[in-house]
Amino acid sequence: MIFDVSVQGRTVKAEVKETTADGYTVVIDGRPHVVDFRETGRDFASLLLDGRSFEAGLERKEDGFVVHLPADNIAVALHEAARGSAAAHKKASGPSRVTAPMPGKVVRVLVETGQEVAAGAGLLVMEAMKMENELRAPRAGRVQSVAAREGLAVETGALLVVIE
Amino acid sequence: MKGFQKILIANRGEIAVRVIRACRELGIGSVAVYSEADRLALHVRRADEAYEIGPAPSRESYLRMDRILDVAKRSGADAIHPGYGFLSENAAFARACEEAGITFIGPRAETIQAMGEKTSARRIAVEAGVPVVPGTLHPVTSDDEIRREAARIGFPLMLKAAAGGGGKGLRLVPHADDLATAVDRARSEAKSAFGDDSVYLEKAVLKPRHIEIQVLADAHGNAIHLYERECTIQRRHQKVIEESPSPFLTPELRERMGALAVALVKKVGYVNAGTLEFLVDKDREPYFLEMNTRLQVEHPVTEMVTNLDLVKLQIRVAQGERLPITQEDVRQTGHAIECRVYAEDPERGFLPSPGRIVALRVPGGPGVRDDSGVYEGYEVPIHYDPMISKLVAWGRTREDAINRMRRAVSEYKVLGIQTTLPFFERVMRHPDFLAGDFDTSFVDVAFRRHEVVREAPWEVAVAAAAIQAFRDRKARRGALSQSAGAAPVSGWRVRGWREGAGGRL
Repeated sequence: MIFDVSVQGRTVKAEVKETTADGYTVVIDGRPHVVDFRETGRDFASLLLDGRSFEAGLERKEDGFVVHLPADNIAVALHEAARGSAAAHKKASGPSRVTAPMPGKVVRVLVETGQEVAAGAGLLVMEAMKMENELRAPRAGRVQSVAAREGLAVETGALLVVIE
Repeated sequence: MKGFQKILIANRGEIAVRVIRACRELGIGSVAVYSEADRLALHVRRADEAYEIGPAPSRESYLRMDRILDVAKRSGADAIHPGYGFLSENAAFARACEEAGITFIGPRAETIQAMGEKTSARRIAVEAGVPVVPGTLHPVTSDDEIRREAARIGFPLMLKAAAGGGGKGLRLVPHADDLATAVDRARSEAKSAFGDDSVYLEKAVLKPRHIEIQVLADAHGNAIHLYERECTIQRRHQKVIEESPSPFLTPELRERMGALAVALVKKVGYVNAGTLEFLVDKDREPYFLEMNTRLQVEHPVTEMVTNLDLVKLQIRVAQGERLPITQEDVRQTGHAIECRVYAEDPERGFLPSPGRIVALRVPGGPGVRDDSGVYEGYEVPIHYDPMISKLVAWGRTREDAINRMRRAVSEYKVLGIQTTLPFFERVMRHPDFLAGDFDTSFVDVAFRRHEVVREAPWEVAVAAAAIQAFRDRKARRGALSQSAGAAPVSGWRVRGWREGAGGRL
């Protein structure tokens, strides 16, 4: 099985071949690695990779895993090469959408529709976990719409302000 | 003297668990209180009894004195431990406990009032001969007065909530232009955190170290200090790493600050555990900042180097006992470091990252302590402080403690939410931290500037992820064939299907 992988800004190919019940050969960009992989609990595995031992936490994400290694958490996005390229980079364009970076509450809205804002200008203040954070304009422009209302509880990714 | 039979813990999270542990070791019953959002919090699970006190927002639950006192009476608790935050420095609450005939495990209401209100504490310190940072000695409320005082003190200055603590309602104001925004933000935070929006101003001390002295006093006039904690490494004016001893203090300055602290404690007739916070400037001059009239988050650091149990000592002193130790008995042995594990993303400016802890593995082994308030499967709520645990490492020397902390961090796994653990891994090998050479700007400035970047073992991560993905796909196909097998079909059809599936794998 061949995967297109992106990790820490790199794009590589990784081929997984099952050799025994828990034994694999993983070829990463042409370099083969002999890996013994055993699950050590839900979301954890012990890897012996070319003889080196690693305990890995495997946190499932929509597009792959965050792999928790002893000193690093590394996001690995991957999909099977055969049907891969279609899912590749979709580029956002047009108006800038400012969304909630965390779940929380809108404490204050500092702009209104139609207002011109400079890059870095405060748009609204959110409170989460007792801290207030000001969300700023990603670029200069005119406020096209304001979905945020004072007192509104929002989830991560909720649309707050659109700048055109 | 009669000991407590039952203690109510007016708090949540790891500190409530910490107090429950002390109660259990002392054979004292524990009563938890919890908000609607906290039914499944660890402190509720660990306590002997637990009672709901209201909706999720603190103002409607953990800050409701009436409901907490009602639970105390109903459950027959003879004392209340307030932990830190919430009502721990609320003089009205301490007084209400006294009036209800329930012992408040902390100082007397008058002392909380005198030392808890920051400008009054500064005035008392001045009277006790303890140096303070130049600034206002009274709270200021009107914008006019704030502008006038700011001009007198000069910029940069610190704007602080008079009723504050824990970094809330606190802002650095670099220039006069930033004053208005900072005042708005500080007041709004102070109002929501403490119910009081008055502020005061202090000259900003440049390149300061944040060093505090732990004190302990009984009701019989005995007061001792338990040496210092170095709390300089902060983000958003909140501590993230603490250690003891401080690599910055000389033996002379350590003794001097200890003596100043004891003098101030005796001056106000302080009883129970408390902490005096100092800024120490680059010339090693200490300035008293404020007193925390409660147990501190970072108390385990002191416990590890002094071999004392501060919570048990708090309880014994509150029972009216004399301190079982004198100043001469207190020794600082070895070195301890604490890392506060927050549900925050260090890669995105320490933004809160609440959510469900999908999987959790906690370090152990020699010299490692994890004071946690969470567990695997627990949902970290958005309503409260994002600290989920305090990881503490002890070693004979600072170097040993750092190496041990790095080892412990490497064993610690929290899946499902972002935490500050990866940040600690980087700090524990940062040249400035290893050299003990840092000030309060470390996280924002020196950290990035001087960090030695190490290449992560990304191939290992790719191999792990690719194999797991491979196994997931294989398991999905296996499940498909199994569900087909479970259907009431004839033997030959099952065999045929399995062979077909096997051929595809």
